[in-house]
Amino acid sequence: MRTTRDFELPPDKAGANQRAIRLEWITVGYLVSAIFFLYITLGASQAMKAAWIEDILSLVPPISFLIASRVRRRPPSERYPFGFHRAVSVGYLCASLALAAMGLYILYDSVSKLAAFEHAPIGLVQPWGEPIWLGWFMIPALIYSAVPAVFLGRVKLPLAHELHDKVLFADAKMNKADWLTAVAAMVGVIGIGLGLWWLDPLAAILISLDITRDGIKNLRTATADLMDARPTLIESSALDPLPQRLRTEILSKNWVRDAAVRVREEGHVFFADIQVVPTSAENLISKLAAVARELMDLDWRLHDVVIMPVEKIEDERRADSLRSGAHSSQ
Amino acid sequence: MTKGLAFVLALTLAACGIPRDPEGTLARASGGVMRVGVTEAPPWVELGDASPDGIEVRLVERFAEEIDAEIEWIEGSEEEIFSGLRVRELDLVIGGLTAETPWSSEAGITHPYLTTTALVAVPDDTDEPGDIAGLKVGVEANTEIAGLLRKSDAQVVEVDDIADHDGPVAIDNFLTDDLDVVDTGVRLSESDHVFAVPMGENDWMTAVERFLLERPGEIEDLLDELGRP
Repeated sequence: MRTTRDFELPPDKAGANQRAIRLEWITVGYLVSAIFFLYITLGASQAMKAAWIEDILSLVPPISFLIASRVRRRPPSERYPFGFHRAVSVGYLCASLALAAMGLYILYDSVSKLAAFEHAPIGLVQPWGEPIWLGWFMIPALIYSAVPAVFLGRVKLPLAHELHDKVLFADAKMNKADWLTAVAAMVGVIGIGLGLWWLDPLAAILISLDITRDGIKNLRTATADLMDARPTLIESSALDPLPQRLRTEILSKNWVRDAAVRVREEGHVFFADIQVVPTSAENLISKLAAVARELMDLDWRLHDVVIMPVEKIEDERRADSLRSGAHSSQ
Repeated sequence: MTKGLAFVLALTLAACGIPRDPEGTLARASGGVMRVGVTEAPPWVELGDASPDGIEVRLVERFAEEIDAEIEWIEGSEEEIFSGLRVRELDLVIGGLTAETPWSSEAGITHPYLTTTALVAVPDDTDEPGDIAGLKVGVEANTEIAGLLRKSDAQVVEVDDIADHDGPVAIDNFLTDDLDVVDTGVRLSESDHVFAVPMGENDWMTAVERFLLERPGEIEDLLDELGRP
């Protein structure tokens, strides 16, 4: 059985990949400590609970990244002839589903607390024998849960671009936005301190909306990936120009009368299948082989190119979508 | 360093009156009336024909004195007094509550002011047994301790009055002196004792907590005096 090539990242990306893996390990370690500090200062504050759950959830992207970074390197096998690139997409789907579900849960929980006029009770703790109001410990714990995260997010963002990694991108964005959660939770805690009990569930509602929005946004992207939607740019839903470049490239050959290109994302990398209508069958096999090699060199993300000579582009819709789609990507 | 800093911070901020009460309970009770829900739970709360007595009742009386409040005692079942607390018709609920109370979603539960243990003890003139396997242990019938003891490998001897029983017993730790027994080191359970306040009245709650936490000695003395079998 034919399988695809088994390496994924070109050599010049190896350093970036190593750095990303190291950063994700640091992220996991740091998040575990932040989750612990938030847990011990949690009290009855709804906003703290939301911030805490968000931190637990933000473990999912780095863990999926780390698992995927191992799995996707596996060479294609008889049973998985396309390789394991989609391990990333599967991880991404799980992460976004968890985000969306938890976001909705906290939203429901906070709205019902607000509606029930439930005032959060926060009392004293005695860590060193001196009784101190627990609220005062929540604020440093929240600061700790936000400040390093923002820096980690800033370092990871360019790596996500370089590696064309959506999980890493989602993770970096979440880290960067973490300070918003922390500030909202602080407002909630200070609200409790000032006797403004409703600030706490209100802050929790804001945090949960943010979590839900993140989850739904990522869920859409992950689903689109698994549905073989056209490749999009990593930071937006704009179409990636690569399919059109491939088509332009292949149409520039004088032996090609027409062509249709279909590209899908498998995790990091792209798989392309191309139909060409040749002007003649002369030397066709060597021409096809040469053009396939040429196309593969256009972009490192292009992992596998299948070119099939056809009499005419049968599926008009397919041809149209690619022609028009190619324009709309501009 | 951190400790000192946190302490200074706490003092500074306590001076700004944080945390505050959304409903102003502490301000209203100070120099006014505090409404305290009580339910029978000896030795913590004992309701007789006269006014209530017990370890927690005395603590509440001392607290009331400190904030110059008069106490209005409201007797009821646990459900009744917690329902009253939820709608803020009561300011405080006592009755041998522990941190495990199922009412914790209806009320503010204070920091534990005392931890008691249920343990197995033997008369102080006998040799301490290595373990309690097969040991005949007396326990008051139909109590939580009896149930916990049954799960151990001791032989359960149910009695009506633990004070009349000779030999090893399963009791609360504060009864060892009264019964002239010594702890074997076998623990059946731990209870963290708490009071309950209306949800979110955090100034009031921390005032009650601070009062209790600053008096470990007084609480021990009360336990000696009132914690009888």
